[in-house]
Amino acid sequence: MTHSAVVVGGNRTPFAKAGGPFAEASNHDLLTSALDGLVARYGLAGQRIGEVAAGAVLKHSRDFNLTREAVLSSPLSPATPACDLQQACGTGLETTIYIANKIRLGQIDSGIAGGVDSTSDAPIVVSDPLRRTLLKANAARSTKDRIAPFARVRPRHLKPQAPSVAEPRTGLSMGEHQALTTERWGITRDEQDEIAAASHHKLAAAWEDGFFDDLVTPYMGVARDAILRPDTTIEKLAALRPAFGGPDGTMTAGNSTALSDGAATALLANEDWAREHHLPVLARFVDAEVAAVDHPGGDDLLLGPIAAAGRLLARQGLTLDDFALIEIHEAFASTVATTLKAWDDEDYCRSLGLDSKLGTIDRAKLNVTGSSLAAGHPFAATGARIVPTLAKLLQQKGPGSKGLISMCAAGGQGVVAILEAV
Amino acid sequence: MTGAPDTVGTPRPVVHLEGSPGLGAAFARALVPSRAKRARLPEHELTIHDFSQDRSRLAAYSRVCGFTLRDAVPPTWIHVLTFPLHVHLLGDADSTIRLAGAVHTSNTMTLHRPVLADEALDLTVHAEGLRPHRRGALVDLVGRAEVDGETVWSGVSTYLAQGMKAPGEPEQVERPSWEAVTPQARWRLSGDLGRRYRAVSGDPNPIHTNRVAAKAFGFPRPIIHGMWTHARALAALEGRLPERFAAGVDFVKPVLLPGTIGFHASTVDGGIVADVTNRDGSKPHLRMRIEET
Repeated sequence: MTHSAVVVGGNRTPFAKAGGPFAEASNHDLLTSALDGLVARYGLAGQRIGEVAAGAVLKHSRDFNLTREAVLSSPLSPATPACDLQQACGTGLETTIYIANKIRLGQIDSGIAGGVDSTSDAPIVVSDPLRRTLLKANAARSTKDRIAPFARVRPRHLKPQAPSVAEPRTGLSMGEHQALTTERWGITRDEQDEIAAASHHKLAAAWEDGFFDDLVTPYMGVARDAILRPDTTIEKLAALRPAFGGPDGTMTAGNSTALSDGAATALLANEDWAREHHLPVLARFVDAEVAAVDHPGGDDLLLGPIAAAGRLLARQGLTLDDFALIEIHEAFASTVATTLKAWDDEDYCRSLGLDSKLGTIDRAKLNVTGSSLAAGHPFAATGARIVPTLAKLLQQKGPGSKGLISMCAAGGQGVVAILEAV
Repeated sequence: MTGAPDTVGTPRPVVHLEGSPGLGAAFARALVPSRAKRARLPEHELTIHDFSQDRSRLAAYSRVCGFTLRDAVPPTWIHVLTFPLHVHLLGDADSTIRLAGAVHTSNTMTLHRPVLADEALDLTVHAEGLRPHRRGALVDLVGRAEVDGETVWSGVSTYLAQGMKAPGEPEQVERPSWEAVTPQARWRLSGDLGRRYRAVSGDPNPIHTNRVAAKAFGFPRPIIHGMWTHARALAALEGRLPERFAAGVDFVKPVLLPGTIGFHASTVDGGIVADVTNRDGSKPHLRMRIEET
């Protein structure tokens, strides 16, 4: 028997630039803060929730149980279990899928999905030779054996290594990968700057309307997304120098997401359970699909979601026209532009094993309250930012309204999900 | 719990301090043990108005004590903010009790409502309740934090000035009974913890950081600040603390650094009792009681 899993609501911290107002906050602090706000909003203090699933992309080894530790710091009942899950930038959506699936199977009645990332408090790692030396010394039984391995340490081994966003197999950063894709798909600078400006303007309008008042709780003196530039214009964005793709590149700091700090959570529940507990029921979780491309073999790194969306729509018997709203995670403005182009490319879609192209969309349905370019992108948090945002928007549209979420992730992966207003 | 705020009708003279006092003359005096025999205390109260909390220091404090960095601050953090006033008061020319050599024996504090990190606080401290003890004289330093005239936090820190005299006969205080516990947690305290807590608390007492100074006061090694142990015990309970509560602690025996200690907590009618113990739970270092208010 399957149950109906619904999105009750969400809570997140505002998002801010790395090294900004949340520079002193750890992943634990940020995730706990997002949970605190969710608990306060839905009166969950002391309650046992079925399970909490969250994760972080940049994680300290001491945070092996990050989510459980945050639950224990939060006012939730200490009897609430938790797990850490990580699928790069898709984490916040993958945790939603995990929790929703457990609810649909009847294993739990309620659950919290989330994600957090602090690029400010990222782990610094020692070099591999030094790390191996330390492990050897630690395992040694005598003082002599303990000291001996250090004779092989060279000054260059002592340089700490900050985490990078480079793909392990290609050595290219995500921006460099996307620059190749941008070039290959012929995405123009204007197109990208237009998407970036629209993201800022739509997010600013949503804040002005009070749309985020029941989705965000202030933290550390920050009440709104701190990366947001309401007054940015295409002209201002056009003046920025290229950041990726060499001197003739079209990708800039303005049309790429900034390294960010923040945490987001979504409360999901069995529909009956939610109603019995007099909780809001915004949207039903319909289905989800993950996919991957062979980026080490030359495929476009961030087009993993295309195959995922194609297979998901085929399974559900839906077309892009069936969606009232579409959320495409803005890793880069050009990711959005290439995703739209790829959806409408018959040859490309067939090359992925799909029966046909997905087609075009009415751009008025896309990222209607802005997305990651304006809000910021604390990697693992973004999916859990989008889910409650879309659920609330769909509920405003009315029962039966469907929404599609498409997220690209490192490793050539893509995570896609469908919500439908109840 | 001792030291109810005094109810004498005449208001105390008030001395305002600009900002947080640093290592001024009074601060230096507070660190020089007193040679006077008769305990005497200043009459006035000290206040700092409109004190802005430093978020990055709060973050560092939270890391050292084990608190999650939240907008609502731990009550022990507000104690830390009033601490320079303690030092100044005990460094006053009218005071024969000095911080150096005084032993913090017990502490109570009440969080009257959640206090946010971005609230500016009016901090006030005065001394009262000078009384004899079989090993010297006891004094209460009574502090409060206000926001726009509303008392949001209050605290009483009781110090023992060893070897000093105060008028009257020592009150016979019965030691609360102690039964060994099985620790629920083991905390490993590193040798530099005193230095780390000094950096965030501003408590310069060298018995927490220096072996020679610790020996001079009869400890084989430096001891951790009692208020760290108090804060760490509160942090261990952070998920289950009510919004408004009173926390009382007795500092039973100092914790030597480095060291390994135990922690035990249980829910009782109307609150939580918690003990920081030695490693095996046979002896208490700190006993704490939390009550919802």
